[in-house]
Amino acid sequence: MAPDISSAPGASSSTPQAPDEKPSAPPVNILPSLIARIYSIAHPALLLALGATRFEALVANPTKELISTLPWLTLLQIFYVIVCLPPTGSAPSLETSAPAPADVKSSPRSSGPSGAARHGKHGKRKQHANNWACIWSRLLPALLSLSLTFALATPVFTILLVLFGAPLTTHNSETVLCAAHMAVLSATALIYAHGLDRNVWNEVWGIARPADAVWGSALGTCLGAWLGAVPIPLDWDRPWQAFPITILFGAYIGYAVGSLLSRTPLVYGKRVQFTSEGLSETEKKTT
Amino acid sequence: MVVTPSAGATGTSPNPNGPKSGLSAANPRSSDQSSDGQSKRKQAALAEKKSRELENEFKAKHSGVMGVLAWILLLHVAGIYLFTKGFLLTRMVLEDKSTCDVLPFEGILAQPPTALGSKQQKGCWHEKTFDKAVVIIIDALRYDFTVPFASKGESDTVHLFHNNIPVLYETAVENPANAFLLPFIADPPTTTLNRLKGLTTGTLPTFLEAGSNFAGTAIDEDNLVAQLHSAGKNLVHLGDDTWQALFPGYFDTNLTHAYDSFNVWDLHTVDNGVTEHLFPLLRPENSKKWDVIFGHYLGVDHAGHRYGPNHAAMASKLQEMDRVIRDIINALDDNTLLVVMGDHGMDIKGDHGGESDDEVEAALWMYSKRGIFGRTSKDTLLPPQSARDRPVPQIDLVPTLSLLLGMPIPFNNLGSPIEEAFSGTRGNNWANLATVNRLTAAQVKRYQHQYALARGAGDDEESALLWTAAEEEWKSASKGFSSKSTAARASNELFRKYQRHTLDICRGLWAQFDVPSMIQGVVILLTSIVLLVIYARGLKTDRTQLTSRLLQLASVGAGVGAVAGLAFGLTGLTDMSMVDGAVLLSAAGSILGATPALVKKPANLTLPLPTGMWGWLALFFTVSQSIGFASNSYTIWEDEILLFFLTTFGVCAGISSMRQKQTTDRVLGVYHSILFVILGRIASFSRLCREEQMPFCRSTYYASSASSTSAPWQLAIPFLVTLFLPSVVRSFYAGSKSYEGTASLWIGFAFRFGLFVTSLFWILEGADDGEWLPVSKETLKFVRVFLAQFVLALAFAAGTTAYFYAKPCVSINVSKPTEDPNSPPAPIVAGQQQGPRTTVTILGFGNVYGTHFCFLLLNFALAIILMQKPMGQGAIALLLWQILSLLEILDTNSLTMTNSSIGPVILGVLGSFYYFKTGHQATLSSIQWETAFIPLATIQYPWSPIFVILNTFGAQILAAIAVPLTVLWKRPLQTHDRVPASNPNKNPATRILSDVVQAAGTHILYLATINLATTMWAGHLRRHLMLYRIFSPRFMMGSVVLAVVDVVLMIVAVGGVRWSTLSVGEIFGW
Repeated sequence: MAPDISSAPGASSSTPQAPDEKPSAPPVNILPSLIARIYSIAHPALLLALGATRFEALVANPTKELISTLPWLTLLQIFYVIVCLPPTGSAPSLETSAPAPADVKSSPRSSGPSGAARHGKHGKRKQHANNWACIWSRLLPALLSLSLTFALATPVFTILLVLFGAPLTTHNSETVLCAAHMAVLSATALIYAHGLDRNVWNEVWGIARPADAVWGSALGTCLGAWLGAVPIPLDWDRPWQAFPITILFGAYIGYAVGSLLSRTPLVYGKRVQFTSEGLSETEKKTT
Repeated sequence: MVVTPSAGATGTSPNPNGPKSGLSAANPRSSDQSSDGQSKRKQAALAEKKSRELENEFKAKHSGVMGVLAWILLLHVAGIYLFTKGFLLTRMVLEDKSTCDVLPFEGILAQPPTALGSKQQKGCWHEKTFDKAVVIIIDALRYDFTVPFASKGESDTVHLFHNNIPVLYETAVENPANAFLLPFIADPPTTTLNRLKGLTTGTLPTFLEAGSNFAGTAIDEDNLVAQLHSAGKNLVHLGDDTWQALFPGYFDTNLTHAYDSFNVWDLHTVDNGVTEHLFPLLRPENSKKWDVIFGHYLGVDHAGHRYGPNHAAMASKLQEMDRVIRDIINALDDNTLLVVMGDHGMDIKGDHGGESDDEVEAALWMYSKRGIFGRTSKDTLLPPQSARDRPVPQIDLVPTLSLLLGMPIPFNNLGSPIEEAFSGTRGNNWANLATVNRLTAAQVKRYQHQYALARGAGDDEESALLWTAAEEEWKSASKGFSSKSTAARASNELFRKYQRHTLDICRGLWAQFDVPSMIQGVVILLTSIVLLVIYARGLKTDRTQLTSRLLQLASVGAGVGAVAGLAFGLTGLTDMSMVDGAVLLSAAGSILGATPALVKKPANLTLPLPTGMWGWLALFFTVSQSIGFASNSYTIWEDEILLFFLTTFGVCAGISSMRQKQTTDRVLGVYHSILFVILGRIASFSRLCREEQMPFCRSTYYASSASSTSAPWQLAIPFLVTLFLPSVVRSFYAGSKSYEGTASLWIGFAFRFGLFVTSLFWILEGADDGEWLPVSKETLKFVRVFLAQFVLALAFAAGTTAYFYAKPCVSINVSKPTEDPNSPPAPIVAGQQQGPRTTVTILGFGNVYGTHFCFLLLNFALAIILMQKPMGQGAIALLLWQILSLLEILDTNSLTMTNSSIGPVILGVLGSFYYFKTGHQATLSSIQWETAFIPLATIQYPWSPIFVILNTFGAQILAAIAVPLTVLWKRPLQTHDRVPASNPNKNPATRILSDVVQAAGTHILYLATINLATTMWAGHLRRHLMLYRIFSPRFMMGSVVLAVVDVVLMIVAVGGVRWSTLSVGEIFGW
């Protein structure tokens, strides 16, 4: 009798949450333009290359290097989201057969006022020469997402790092900067693509988003950082075992792997299952 | 009559079965009221009978599952025993004794008997230097206490333990011929009992003896005390009564005064006693009464245990010792040798037992008014600055003292004579040095020969070569003897080399592991885990139904195995002793017998693999931690890794809670997940660092890292616990409206009062430490002991009795329906149309099992909190909070009724985590022995060990007791008329039992896997450099934890379920 408990109607005290089947936002696709496709592949590689080249400097002086690379990382991410991703409020990608009702439901919630307008113009825009407006329509959400990343996501990651055992009395700048890097990696694209859509964020907190480049890279960042903690206690006496370095590299590698892997047809659109009939084991040990 | 649980009664867990089951559960016998009185009575009698049957069935099955758990415990004990026997080093004890008239050289016969008397006058094997000796042992006198502080770096400042006992260094520097001071390196384990054995027999300790610290046994090997005794010397012992256990009957009963050695809270009784009785003996008029005095001071050791070395009490104690030694020097005559030494050192917070540098580095100082000591080189004129320079092993004392007093060297001695004592005042008496080294080497050789014979093995070739070479040099030296030639020096070197070489061989030899026995142990442990996996995770049926068959077959198997083992042992078919054979074969037999009982019907089996994220997570925690124990780093940093796991679990719980459909589930789940993670992180601030964690760790458990007392601010923690913990527990009860009935009295009053008394206890303790009150120590101690015993009586005597008789935490209100507008419309039961309906509101209905059982948890929590230091009390309070939070997480994620493995496993992780947060580490020295004196003034068996266990494994015990709650918390009430129609014969109470024993099995599985892993790694890495520092202590900890938790789970946790189920059954029917 045990398994059917959760599905049984609740006691009178609990008010069931409005719609049980959420009109979950479909997975986000990379924009169809050639440059977007190419850059979306190149971007993770570029980030990894950035990390690899700055590795020794990072080991030598983590705080300084984390500060100096943060603007570059931010610029790369901004460039990436502008070039490759549809901003929040724009139409869900055309390839996915998103059901019409979902579309209707999500549009009133969309935050960008221009969302509906752009929705219709999507196809034409390439022909129009009004590139400035187009860029602006993407730059604005990008900047907004960036500010939210720093204002909200960075504290959240900082708290998480501390809860997982990052020192509280020392290494504060390292912890915050590491959190900032992780936030820029994971949250910028999420906010850019989804805004503050409550349903999407509920799914994000429940690790229930369908796999796509945005979600895959965010989840990959967290998983990578989680795995990055593994070598820290080992007594190899390597300078790179110092606190934020392995976590940061785990996050970068996780970002790249997640971003690329989630686009493969095998994974794309799938969700992490918590109860039985689950996916692969590693996916389940999330965060 | 209608029963309607109020809206809140089902609490935060929307429980679909609640209202329905409540209807008839509350009064199953009255469901049919339309029939006449007689049939009603008949019905009632029938129901009565049925419920008695069900109750008896439950009781029988309950005893059965306890039997199964006992069987698992026995399997674990058998496996651990077999492994331990092979793993902990053993050494054959030879009974041979050295005698005065037989020199250790081969082919030299006994001297003519006439010479014997004069020999005893002049010295047996070597001319004696002193007639008498005063041997003072200052327990735990670390070498750096005795030398002037020398800063090693900027951060290295002078501590309170520095420069407080300068007499040893001063005399050695000012009069090198009268005194010398050397680092004195103990062979681990650094417990006093083992050290005394080493210091008197001159041989190496084996690890097995480490456990016998609580009850020492007489030494039957040849030793210095026995030699002195048989030479007719009159021996006096003062101080630590361990000597009495080791050397019963050797000391002059009139002059000897022994004192209890384990009362580490008492710094002065032993020391004052020694001093009081020592000085009269030193007076000239008494000098004929004794030959050798052994005085054993314990104050320094106790100050270390109680306060840590960096404390004013340590400084004053060392100053006192300084005065004592100066006084002895003044009272000494010319023919008496004075030896002062530490038997071991102490670690940074004053404890010992392990093999860290601070623990093994003691000091040795010898003094004589005659001035016979010398230094063979100018470099060695000053005592070494640190214990790393020119250390001597402690066993070197034995030949040195023997030869100085003209005694034969004890037969099994492996030590070497200390150079300073034999080299003459000018440091060039090479002939004498060569002579004593030859004597010692010859005795070592004789012992080695004897030992090799006993083992049935040949002599070592290299040592034979060394011996021959040394003898050659010796002969050439004795030819040109007068010149004190280089040949004497060379032969001295060679003999010395021979001795040290043999010592190395012996160290290697006695690190011989009995690998077959270790493998047997591991196999028993492994197969018991396999059976447990099937029992706990791979059965679809009710576990209680298997019990009788399982136990029958297992005991038959065990019986057959035991008989076979004994028979093999008797007939001598195997090398194993009878006991080992019986243990091995009975364990194997019971495993073989039980297997068919478990796997009889394949249909009942499922693949014991996890089916969802939670199961995989539980498996992942268990397995990854087990693998991690192969690495010394992960073993050292276990506390941090456990925090990482717990946070991971909390985050996963938060994620899972976000997926819940019910808003209440989601909100509560997320709230408790966040709470769970934050509480764990707060607890992680309580740390006691082990040596290997330095410098990346800062201890916060005590006032400072070099202390073992609490800081004054930490004394506020017990009061905070008193203030908040009952309210926290109350909030968890109130969530399901269960703060009713006995709960308010229990939690709000008794529990809080107990905690308050505990706080008072620790305030008095602090007052005693800091001497804040103008009250005598005896009064304080008396009051403290009374308070502690009161709390224990409240927790165990009153608490357990109350637990047996307490009603469930419900309050039943009978009211007219109109008077209760809040209650939802009552469902109508067939046959109940008549009259104005009565509504019975049951508050606390949603959590009847859990809230009752939780009392047991609170009882033990109170006792365990009492046994912890203030910081540990905060940690245990956080543990209790985290456990309750975990239960809510399990409930909101529907994990209580699905027999998920995550709950019991996380409890296991919590137990391990808080083990570290209550000021412990996986090292011997972190055991807080002094907690045995919290509720007692003296050592009393079996209580003292139990109190130490409550302190040491309090966290694991509490977590184990909470295991049944993972299936009982907010479990809907089930009675026999409410079970699904598909299985009408089932007794719902046995279903509870089956779930409980499954959870208990899963919890054991976690700990058994950890134990198996640490066991296997310790066995596999037995040649690892870090074996005794890291792997071996962790193995011992894992084994003891497993055994303790097995017992607690069986007796307290699963045992306690009996009364909570009976109590619910009494009110709500069966």
